[in-house]
Amino acid sequence: MNQARKNIRFIIFVFVILFAAMIFYLIYAISVYGERWFVAPYNPRIASMKENIIAGTIYDREGAKLAWSEGEKRRYTADGSTRESVSHIVGDNFGLTRGAESFFAKYLYGFDEDAVERLTGVLQGEKRKGSDITLTISARLSDAILNTMGSRKGAVVVLNYKTGEVLASVSNPGFDPDKVKSYKGKTGSSVLFNRAFMGRYPPGSLFKVVTSAAVLENPELELQTRNCTGKTEIEAKEVTCAGETAHGEVDLNRAFTKSCNTFFAQQAVLLNGERLKTEAEKFGFNLDFLFDDMIVYMSKFTQGDTDIDIAWSGIGQYEDLITPLHAAMIAGTVANKGIMMEPRLLKSAVSPGASTLYTLYSKQYRNPVSEANANILKDMMLDVVKEGTGTGAKVSKLAVGGKTGTAEYTDEKGKKKEHAWFIGFIDDEKHPICLAVLLEGAGGGGKYAAPVAAKAFKKAVDLGY
Amino acid sequence: MIYVRRSASIVLFFIILLVLSAFSLLSFRDGEFDLFAVLMGVGACTVYLLLYNILKSVFKHIDRYVLIICILLFSIGLIIQYRLNPQTAWKQFIWFCIGIVALVIALLVIKKAETFGRLNFIFLLGTAFLLLLSLLFARVIGGAKNWIQIGPFTVQPSEFAKLLFIITAAYYFSKNKRMIPLIPYLLFSGVCIFILVLSKDLGAAILYALTTLTMFFAGTGKALWTLLGFGILSGGAYASYKLFPHVQTRVDIWRNPWVAERTEGYQIVQGLMAIASGSLLGMGLNLGSPLAIPASHTDFIFAVICEEFGIIIGIAVIAFYLLFILRGALIALNARTQFHQLLVFGCTAMLSLQCFVIIAGVIKMIPLTGITLPFISYGGSSMISCMALLGIIEGVAVKNGEMDEKEIKSIGGEVL
Repeated sequence: MNQARKNIRFIIFVFVILFAAMIFYLIYAISVYGERWFVAPYNPRIASMKENIIAGTIYDREGAKLAWSEGEKRRYTADGSTRESVSHIVGDNFGLTRGAESFFAKYLYGFDEDAVERLTGVLQGEKRKGSDITLTISARLSDAILNTMGSRKGAVVVLNYKTGEVLASVSNPGFDPDKVKSYKGKTGSSVLFNRAFMGRYPPGSLFKVVTSAAVLENPELELQTRNCTGKTEIEAKEVTCAGETAHGEVDLNRAFTKSCNTFFAQQAVLLNGERLKTEAEKFGFNLDFLFDDMIVYMSKFTQGDTDIDIAWSGIGQYEDLITPLHAAMIAGTVANKGIMMEPRLLKSAVSPGASTLYTLYSKQYRNPVSEANANILKDMMLDVVKEGTGTGAKVSKLAVGGKTGTAEYTDEKGKKKEHAWFIGFIDDEKHPICLAVLLEGAGGGGKYAAPVAAKAFKKAVDLGY
Repeated sequence: MIYVRRSASIVLFFIILLVLSAFSLLSFRDGEFDLFAVLMGVGACTVYLLLYNILKSVFKHIDRYVLIICILLFSIGLIIQYRLNPQTAWKQFIWFCIGIVALVIALLVIKKAETFGRLNFIFLLGTAFLLLLSLLFARVIGGAKNWIQIGPFTVQPSEFAKLLFIITAAYYFSKNKRMIPLIPYLLFSGVCIFILVLSKDLGAAILYALTTLTMFFAGTGKALWTLLGFGILSGGAYASYKLFPHVQTRVDIWRNPWVAERTEGYQIVQGLMAIASGSLLGMGLNLGSPLAIPASHTDFIFAVICEEFGIIIGIAVIAFYLLFILRGALIALNARTQFHQLLVFGCTAMLSLQCFVIIAGVIKMIPLTGITLPFISYGGSSMISCMALLGIIEGVAVKNGEMDEKEIKSIGGEVL
């Protein structure tokens, strides 16, 4: 019996630990994921709350009204093209998308007001009012970008790389928040889908920034120079440069500027899959981004088993995937001395009683490369725009750096197509701007994406950012 | 020496306060006064007072805390049931009253009987019969085949098999300490678990398996064999993961329910949304939207509690179960015979494992397997079997108390 008592005590001890673990897990899950769970589309609760509370106004960083309540109705910017350009960031009133209307519901519907304010509202017998919020985006910049993109599907993200503020995030096609319920079926969900935060695309040559960073961190493995003939064989399979152009004698810098596939394929094999994966994960691949202000899908890097897979993964093909926002963050890291800032979307929140509930503060997110190596990468990226594949992104009087990408994919009909990519930054203390441009199935990055980037840079600088 | 049994009436007072205020709130919820809500509140409180005071005076040594915790958990359940659907709340209340009868019967039987001796063999057959009954004749509800129809009622035989199963386990594990004589019994429990797996009632299968293992360890203290048992269990779980697509779906949903938020993952996603909406202090009674969650009144009732009362009450509920377990353990440790010790321990272990499996499943800590939350979830079979388990625990508590009293009297003391 004494032995049994001991055993029982032991098992009860285990039960106590299990129950304690359950309590801790519950607290942990709610504090880390709670808001994300709450704002998921089709949460019937947000809709039911709207019946009792007048939602606050959403402003852009310049003070323009993007969404506001008028009596029972929710209004959005009158200008059709501006409305579309900010649609994915602002969201809709029915909880079908994950924009500010859902994500910042706790401010807009006043869960964050203190008890006194709530009570005065109740005593005055009025319908409760939610708080007003100001976003970091600029509606004018967003609108200009959407016009530049025209009818081409894709996404453009512009960030301030010093503070992490999202200045514009445009996903084309945008939607009309008043008609959100009429978007149905496959095309409908494609319209409501925020490509900038949730679209995951093969990065193509953009990934050479990460591969180059891996080389700089492992200098003993640098492939010195190589004669590029336009193609090379790895495990009896061919890797070719775009158009099989022979780049001749190239080193890391020149290969980067010309976006030489054969050089980076060989270099990736030399580094091996594990080092590449380590570097990619430093840059935030395979990482669950738990940003405070938005939901961003995970970028993916898979370590290949064979040399040919590793080679392709090192030039951004194989199973690599990245979101436009993450691509912009990588460009920003290079410009910002190797420091990646957390992207921010909420500038401030002010309650109806005029007390400030929230003001923006910057957060360092990761530090993937040293300052010295970031500066080397920065010079390489400046060369790309000066004399390489990215000349289309040149803007007069500005030091623009960047990297083009042309990512191959097979569409639903089995046709081989290419996404046009450009990521870049302005190397200027006064205009700390970085961006990513993605045009779905448009073709070469240098030809199609870089000019869009140039216009976006110019507009952003004209607006004083 | 005078030993006074502490009264728990003060806790009962707070429970009554909670029940009355909650039902008064509910009576005004549609803008019209709902007399039935008030009647339900008053009725429940009357039953609590009668139950507590009569049991206390008839059985002087009854464990007040276990009883009070059970009343508290049932009250939270009843409030939520009424909020979800007044009709199910009335049914639940009737089941509770029938459960009280089950409790008293179990208490009296345990108090009178020493061990059940040869009867245990019949219990074995009874367990197997009940489980086979559900395998052969049951209707499929919610993916699991565990309901059989008798007239207007649907009954879950596996809930009643639990009782017999624990009694036989306590009997065999207390009688035999060596491995060889235990082998037939262990094989029998293996067969029971297998039948449950065949009925696709995974929750119950896990519950039976873990209860058997913990009781085996408590009774025999054979750590290596217990570990081997866990090994076989994990192997079986892995094999069923590989073999059955519905198990695979469960695990996939657990890993990431959001990819199937409109289909297979709908229930768990709605549950998580509800918990998140509740946040720390809850939306307030009747202010959430718990009806959006499938099975909100049975398996997912914990999510509703978190939504309307906040995770603070969710945590309190977990803490009350924990108190229940600790109280049960104390009664087991104080038992005079090994049979009674294992019996109480088995009941406590079964209830706490059941509670863990479902709550951890709802909050996505482990893959979800649908079983009821003891004393809170709606369900007649579940309510009656939980009350009977409580009756067994109380029966042993009364026995312990009588022995204690005898011992204290023999040294000239007194128990009040």
